[in-house]
Amino acid sequence: MLPNKTLLEARQLVVNYKNHRAIDGLDLSVPAGCVYALLGGNGAGKTSTINTFLGFNRPTGGNVFIDGESPEQNPAVVRAKVAYLPENVALYEYMSGLENLRFFCTLANIRLSRQHAHDLLVNTGLQTDAHDRRVSTYSKGMRQKVGLAIASAKQAKVMLLDEPTSGLDPSAANDFAQRVRAAADLGMAVLMATHDLFNAKQVADRIGIMKAGRLVEEFDAHTVAHDELEHKYLAHARGLL
Amino acid sequence: MLRDGRLLVLAFSVFAVLTGFFLASVAEHQQVQQEKQAVGATAKEQWDTQGVKNPHAAAHFGIYVFKPDSPLAAVDPGLRQYTGQTLWLEPHKRNGARFSPAADQGLASRFGQASAGFVLYALLPLLVIALAFNAVTQEREQGTLRMLHSLGVSATKLLLGKFIGLLLAFVAVLMPAMAVAIVILYQNFDLAGDDILRLFTLSGTFFIYYAVFAALAMSTSIHFKSSRLALFTLLAFWSGSVLIAPRLGAAAAEMMVPTPGATAFWAGIKKDIQQGLDNDGDHDAREALFKAQVLKQYGVARVEDLPVGYAALNRNFNDGYSERVHALHFDRLRDAFERQGRFIHIASLLGPSIAMRSVSMTLSGMDLAHQRHFEDAAEHYRHYFIGLTDDWDRERSHGTERGAQGHDTDWGSVMAFSYAPPSVGFALHHALAELLVLLAWLVAALTWLLFSAKRLKP
Repeated sequence: MLPNKTLLEARQLVVNYKNHRAIDGLDLSVPAGCVYALLGGNGAGKTSTINTFLGFNRPTGGNVFIDGESPEQNPAVVRAKVAYLPENVALYEYMSGLENLRFFCTLANIRLSRQHAHDLLVNTGLQTDAHDRRVSTYSKGMRQKVGLAIASAKQAKVMLLDEPTSGLDPSAANDFAQRVRAAADLGMAVLMATHDLFNAKQVADRIGIMKAGRLVEEFDAHTVAHDELEHKYLAHARGLL
Repeated sequence: MLRDGRLLVLAFSVFAVLTGFFLASVAEHQQVQQEKQAVGATAKEQWDTQGVKNPHAAAHFGIYVFKPDSPLAAVDPGLRQYTGQTLWLEPHKRNGARFSPAADQGLASRFGQASAGFVLYALLPLLVIALAFNAVTQEREQGTLRMLHSLGVSATKLLLGKFIGLLLAFVAVLMPAMAVAIVILYQNFDLAGDDILRLFTLSGTFFIYYAVFAALAMSTSIHFKSSRLALFTLLAFWSGSVLIAPRLGAAAAEMMVPTPGATAFWAGIKKDIQQGLDNDGDHDAREALFKAQVLKQYGVARVEDLPVGYAALNRNFNDGYSERVHALHFDRLRDAFERQGRFIHIASLLGPSIAMRSVSMTLSGMDLAHQRHFEDAAEHYRHYFIGLTDDWDRERSHGTERGAQGHDTDWGSVMAFSYAPPSVGFALHHALAELLVLLAWLVAALTWLLFSAKRLKP
């Protein structure tokens, strides 16, 4: 069986913010169908990595590719293939979830009928009675679902998640993890920056630990034991390794 | 903006403020016109019923003429507060307009002076700023800009969409007040085709003016990370454009092109009449030369033997010279005002408000160019009726006699002053420089917006 195509790739990536090096020679690849969880403490470089894949950061050195395209050289092509969910999915407060979904899609040149939009929201698990309610009344988990619906509508090949389960209750986090897993099973490559070891172990195929902008450990999520993962993570966070 | 209630609150506020100011302006405009008509009719009646008297003495009774203000003066009264309301036409002397409302008002009423024009050119840009200052910063602060970026939404497309949306929202806010204003104008004035053309041109120019502020506000919103900083910066620009630039421009203009005070102006005219221009000789020398020419023309040796009244002839000659001197000094003064105007335009670099204010006054027919047009017409009329009385005086007397007489039928035969205001073409010609300044601001603001769009970062 042929290995899945690599959709996310960083080669010797270096990113500097003025005099501070945020990413220091990162090599990373995420194939289609794979969920890759990036663990690490604050300032380890997880969000910087995601921002660089999104084209928000310009690499100081090395390269990043999404489905073979450079975000720096072909930002429009790359962004058409990427779905992005930040920790707090930013939506327009005075619109309903349904309106937000259709509005974002319209701006991204995606035509979405009202029924299709309803269906997408239903698929993410958002209760039907919430579709036409203003998102100012939504919980964080409900906003994440609208974000997932946007990603689905976009038919993105790659999903970038930045602390997606932070602040979610365990049930919502579990629900979210299942939907991310389902998206990957349909062929999406997912890169997820998180502090949540449990969530990472639950949903990911591979797990990497970042420290000071470097990828210092990598694991197969299916084989690594939770205790071992926790031990390594804490040891790196406390500077013991 | 509609859903967060901002648009409705702003629309209501704009409607209340603009309509309030406009109604006040219309009432003031109508009161001024009624007073002008009433005083004009009384003055004409007094002129017509002077009884039997010497034609020149009748001419000295003088005639008051009034500038009929355009209906658009209800929108922008322009310089009405500072230019005189009437011209008193009398022999020998060309008067300036007199009775400016500003001079007649008490101190307290000066604090309340504001017009619909002031709201349009000074306050509504604040509304544009209020709608646009956080157009991008808010998206950045709330994180939606990152979402939009990640979706691959083109920054140029996004900003142009916001820009057009902002202008449409602004027009929607203005519409109710504009509709009411047009109905009020239509009901209270006889709008001629020229007035309607002026109104449309004025509306279009104001739209350009607001588009400049909208583009600048959006560009500022792109460059600043916080909404508060963007707002403070835009308020500083507004102050510079609306409040500071006109004063700086006026101060610079007065320094670069000084104009004489009233005393010096009239003293200069008196001196030139007395001493003569260039090599014309002084007053006595000119009179002596004229007397010799007249005696030669009529083939007599003494003025007493002339078949026509010499006093009227001599007066006519002196008045002709006086008119030449007056015209020279008036033109020099008005040219100086125009040069000052050009210096004030330099201050347009600080903001587009000076240019807009100028265009508004010109299209409303309430600027110096229209005032000059009226004063020239009045001066032409002065020549007409003074010439007529001089003719009666000359033809009804002989030699050195001063007994010529005129009657009410004579006075009544003097045509009333009829002033035809210039067309919109005249206004556009005089507002051309300011219109070009506004267009330059629009091009610069849109260029900056497009340039900023390319640098937009979430």
